[in-house]
Amino acid sequence: MAIIEVSNLKKSYGKLDVLKQITFDVNKNDVVAVIGPSGSGKSTMLRSLIHLEEINGGSVRVTGDYLVKDGVYSKAQEVKKITSKMGMVFQHFNLFPHLTVKENLEIAPKMLKTESISAIQQRSAELLKKIGLSDRATAYPANLSGGQKQRVAIARALMMNPEILLFDEPTSALDPELTGEVLQVMKDLAEEQMTMIVVTHEMGFAKEVANRVMFMDNGEIIESGHPEDLFNNPQFERTKAFLNRNLK
Amino acid sequence: MADYFNTMIMPMLEGAKMTILLFLIAIAVSIPLGFLLTLAVNSRFKPLSWLAQTYIYLMRGTPLLLQLLLICFGLPLIPVIGEYLILDRFVAACLGFILNYAAYFAEIFRGGLLSIDKGQYEAAKVLGLNKWQTTTRIILPQMFRIALPSVSNESITLVKDTALLYAVAVPELLHFAQTAVNRDFTIVPFFIAGIIYLLITLVLTMFFKWLEKRFKFE
Repeated sequence: MAIIEVSNLKKSYGKLDVLKQITFDVNKNDVVAVIGPSGSGKSTMLRSLIHLEEINGGSVRVTGDYLVKDGVYSKAQEVKKITSKMGMVFQHFNLFPHLTVKENLEIAPKMLKTESISAIQQRSAELLKKIGLSDRATAYPANLSGGQKQRVAIARALMMNPEILLFDEPTSALDPELTGEVLQVMKDLAEEQMTMIVVTHEMGFAKEVANRVMFMDNGEIIESGHPEDLFNNPQFERTKAFLNRNLK
Repeated sequence: MADYFNTMIMPMLEGAKMTILLFLIAIAVSIPLGFLLTLAVNSRFKPLSWLAQTYIYLMRGTPLLLQLLLICFGLPLIPVIGEYLILDRFVAACLGFILNYAAYFAEIFRGGLLSIDKGQYEAAKVLGLNKWQTTTRIILPQMFRIALPSVSNESITLVKDTALLYAVAVPELLHFAQTAVNRDFTIVPFFIAGIIYLLITLVLTMFFKWLEKRFKFE
């Protein structure tokens, strides 16, 4: 069952088309890895799904509801309702530096009054345990390593009980020896059947964890398929060239 | 000797009181006013933004002394309404400092806002916080923290700028020091005045150091 349906998505800055007629579906429980050279539009595509970018044409449907239909956005309230079904993890974490780890997790649910305070606190404790940072609950982001920050950012996104998690190059800002701990958390989420779209340069993750890989170049999806097929038997020259550069 | 010291220092302490009072009033009003100006500058309602920017330009672009003289001695000269604009000197001075310093604080806060990464807004947005929640809970606390060292610096400048009251004949610290120097023909009162200014700025410096530590977020 498709949980996200994107059709003919178009985005341009002035005359420059950064996304040209993008069409794809994501099924529930899919883990989709989006790969491609920088400047190919991967991040812009991902950000369009959660309304951090305004698109210029096409449609985006999430769990059946239109975020945008033929280039026309739904009403603000509807947009908010739809985007709240998704969580987002950023390359640079974007934790709130003036709040402790625990406060970072709890601020949004507390402000939005989605649940009782005690339920919120209970879940933040559970999530911190899950990412292995229970002992850092009162630390400020400045005192965490990059890997710890990103794990907190994932937990913060999970606090909102999203149906879909979007990752925008979650390990690109990390030292190589810290990527493992973040990828492990993402792997665990995949095993729990979380629907995830991951823009990444981690070919290993794409191969191992994703059940579908989408290769983008120059604002288009060149090909997409099961990781084994796409990595071992790419159909297009551009895919081959990219994989040759990046799998060595 | 001790008696002489008393007759010299007592008026200076009175003057210092005036200095501190003006400082406290000016800082207590100009910081919130400066913050409102920052909001006005950032307003999407363009006329308000232009108005605020023009105000800041005028206040920063002309000498504080000129502004003080204008308020104390210039306003009463305006035909017809001038006679209603004769303010108490101290009130006039407070007004001048507040209006001037609000412009500087506005620029400091604006700088603080500019240095907040856009990722903070994006993170707040995807978590579902609305604009008001984002501003009050995410952006402003960070803005004040970033602005703190500059606010500290500006406050110390304000302490020293109170000496400009000398020019509009409000009896503050420097006024009494100068009087004593002229009367007794000695340099000592200047040194004492200097020490009193240093003490005031020392207390301020320590206070802001404490604030910075308290809100270090580490």
